[in-house]
This record gives sequence, structure tokens and C-alpha cells, in this order.
Amino acid sequence: MARLESDPVIEAYKKDVDRTLLRENLKRSVEERFQSLIALQRAAEELRRAGREASRRT
Amino acid sequence: MTDFAGLLRALSQAGVEFIVVGGAAATAHGSALLTFDLDVVYRRSPQNIQRVAAALAPHAPYLRGAPAGLPFRWDVATIERGLNFTLTTDLGAIDFLGEITGGGSYEDLLPHAVVLKVFDLECRCLGLEKLIEVKRAAGRPKDFEAIAQLEALLEERDNQESR
Repeated sequence: MARLESDPVIEAYKKDVDRTLLRENLKRSVEERFQSLIALQRAAEELRRAGREASRRT
Repeated sequence: MTDFAGLLRALSQAGVEFIVVGGAAATAHGSALLTFDLDVVYRRSPQNIQRVAAALAPHAPYLRGAPAGLPFRWDVATIERGLNFTLTTDLGAIDFLGEITGGGSYEDLLPHAVVLKVFDLECRCLGLEKLIEVKRAAGRPKDFEAIAQLEALLEERDNQESR
């Protein structure tokens, strides 16, 4: 497949990509990448729950 | 929360022909972004539509975001009348897509798919280059960060391979 032409908007976003995370992910198996996503989902759910609880208290 | 293993297993065990696309495909390729659903492009053949209907039927599929209590039935007739379905199930959220912008149908995407071995299953996933192309074609500002990350992944992967 031919490489896509560079897009200046995407290039601007690319400057903020944390490549250390990507390099770590590339060392992992596909299953480990999904396990990491599931852990991230759990953390996000917990933060949302805590946020809702905090809003109710104030 | 989405039970990715459960959803992929349900589809695979029913023999559904599908390709993982979207955020879950990005995860498979190494993206670190958070996604909450499984997006798949399914083959629109009569046999496969039957398999799609059977695969999800035991998992309480319902239209995501729709008010409760609508007379929604997940069966062959419903799938034949529609094309793209955004669903909740007891295994989590799943989008069944008959076509995607910039990518087309299952048959169009198949040459660009790779085989994933995950959760003791083998399933097809859209290749990284095509995933970037499809996300670019969608042209949604919310995808800019994801595209940047996917392009950075492609560069990192190429760098590793050239070492």
C-alpha cells in the first residue's frame, strides 16, 4: 500500500504523541495490549464513579 | 465495560465473518488510547447475516442510546433491512458495520486485513496502514489524535523493523 501524504494537521497532533507508551506497547503481545485497555477502562469507570459521587456531595 | 474476549469469542464460535476496525483495531496495533466499544465490519451475505443474528441473540442486544422498551428485535430481518448497528449487549458495546467511510464493505477491506491471535482465537483485524487511511477518510476532528498516534505507531514499527 502506498504511504499516505503527510497532513499538516495530523503532523501538529503527532508532536504531542507520547512515543514511549507506543514503544512499550509494541513490545507487548496483542493480548497484553487488550488487557492493558481493559485495565484502563476499569480505571476510567472508577474515576467516573468517584466524580459522580463528589458532585453529589457538593 | 466491554468484554472484548467474550464478544470476539461469541462471533468466532458462531462462525461470523468479520474484521475488527476502529479503536479496538488501534489497540491491537499498539495504540495507547482508550476505547469503550468493539467495532466490526461484517460480511453482508445471507449466511453471515444469519450467523451475526445467532451470535448476539443470547446477549440481549439493544440499540445503544435508544429509550428502553422499544420493540427492537435482533434477527435476520432486522439486519437485512439495516446496515450499521450500534448496540449494547450484556458483553458490552459493539458496532456492527456493513460498510465504513473510506473503506467500504467486508470484501473491500479483506485484502487489507491481518489475522490476530488473541484470547485463544484467530480473528481478522484491519491492517495499520488501511486503518489510518479509513480514519483519515472519515475526516472527523475527534479522530485527529487517534490518527496521529496510529501514524506514530507506523513510524515506530518501521524504525524497529529497519534496526
